[in-house]
Amino acid sequence: MGGYGDVQCIDENGIRLDGRTKDEVRPVHIETGVVPVADGSARMTWGLNDVIAAVYGPMEAHPRKIQRQDRAVLDVRYNMAPFSTTDRIRPGFNRRSREISKVTAEALESVVLTELYPRSKIRVEIEIICAEAGTRCAGITAASVALAHAGIPMSDMVVSVASGKVHDIVVCDLNKEEDNYGEADLPMGILPNSGELVFLQMDGDLSPDQFQEAWDYNMKATQVIHAEMVRALKGGDE
Amino acid sequence: MAIPLVPKLLRAHLAELAAEDQRHDGRGRFVGRDTELEINCLPRAEGSAKVRMGDTIVYAGVKFQIMTPYPDRPNQGGLMCSAEVRPVAGRNWEPGPPSPQSIELGRVVDRGIRESGCINTEDLCLIPGEKAWQVILDLFAVSDDGNLFDAFALAGIAALKSAVIPAERFGIGEDQPLDVAKTPVMCSYHKVGGRFVYDADKREELGGDERIHITLGDDDHVHSLQKGLKGIFTAAEFAEIMDQARLRCAELRDLIDEKLEGV
Repeated sequence: MGGYGDVQCIDENGIRLDGRTKDEVRPVHIETGVVPVADGSARMTWGLNDVIAAVYGPMEAHPRKIQRQDRAVLDVRYNMAPFSTTDRIRPGFNRRSREISKVTAEALESVVLTELYPRSKIRVEIEIICAEAGTRCAGITAASVALAHAGIPMSDMVVSVASGKVHDIVVCDLNKEEDNYGEADLPMGILPNSGELVFLQMDGDLSPDQFQEAWDYNMKATQVIHAEMVRALKGGDE
Repeated sequence: MAIPLVPKLLRAHLAELAAEDQRHDGRGRFVGRDTELEINCLPRAEGSAKVRMGDTIVYAGVKFQIMTPYPDRPNQGGLMCSAEVRPVAGRNWEPGPPSPQSIELGRVVDRGIRESGCINTEDLCLIPGEKAWQVILDLFAVSDDGNLFDAFALAGIAALKSAVIPAERFGIGEDQPLDVAKTPVMCSYHKVGGRFVYDADKREELGGDERIHITLGDDDHVHSLQKGLKGIFTAAEFAEIMDQARLRCAELRDLIDEKLEGV
């Protein structure tokens, strides 16, 4: 979070750089079956974000030391493709992608009925093909759809979205400029049917009122995104 | 890549089909799967392409960096080509450092493009001995149902041909298209059931023997060859697939030109 202030992210009429008002979500589109060789897969485009999630398994967990006698383990990898950002990313794991993989696994483990598959492993691969801000949220959301598409039993899907603050105004679903030049970022992973949370991060600076406003924006955006997830899985009209 | 079990049944089945000159998906020996090419599909890359051949899906993205020319070639820029097959692409691909298989993939595709001379590295030099463009071609597999080689090579050259040098972003003049003078194309043949077939899918790869990759440039000049995996082949067999490669490479070159015209 820089707070450089040299980029005007919102004009005097409250319109953002991408033409949205402060409580709007970027356009979201989800399709399933994009990785034909996987057991389940989903592609999510969200603004300029383009994310592919693939699920393999449940399968035998190896090496054996990762096995759990009473449940399946989720083996989650979040990765950004080298050409997904303005500056090329060198291939390979880094500290950021490891942390995101970890919190994503923990969010998804909270909803997947892992106890149905003792000693097995479910692989979840999240690949960021094009990045615009909010890739971890898009990754978690796409992975939920891919798990459902693979027929893995879950108590609910996870919808993840990040609202934040830019120029002291709270805005819903941060875009790239707002993420770079804004003052706060609040990504949440929400269960749309109960409003419970399985993922929460935050950095920046928010007053109690602003925090509540960002929280409420995320809750509201969840319903919009969830509708698209359900549409994609049910194969409904575009 | 984890070495998958090769069921004897699959090998036997493919051999039986071969005896009747058939393939398990009904294709003729030298018929490829439906091939789709999409250009400029990655907004953050300076050039990009997506290729779908049956259930094999790959992306190629071009990025540019500023490099210091190598001391022995002070007036040349560079071309780097790297292939990544991450575990997203199939259940046998594993995480970790690049496997020998994916390194071979990247290097064979790289040789075909580099040796064709389609990119004049001297054009990439900005200040001799100090500053030059490095072109980086990243090949990325999303779904591996066999023959990643041809998919990568096709996506790679199409991405390069659509690339624009982002000079403005680096503060050195105006953006301009990357000059790619030639169109090298790869065709791969896999020995399945004792005879070579074009564009093997995953099952044919698993139940087959050696493979041969041929990259042909404009005017049918040969730019790279690679024999992979265990197996023995005759000069006559090679001559046959070489003839087939000339026909197929021309078709694929037309496909690239047609898609680039629409951009």
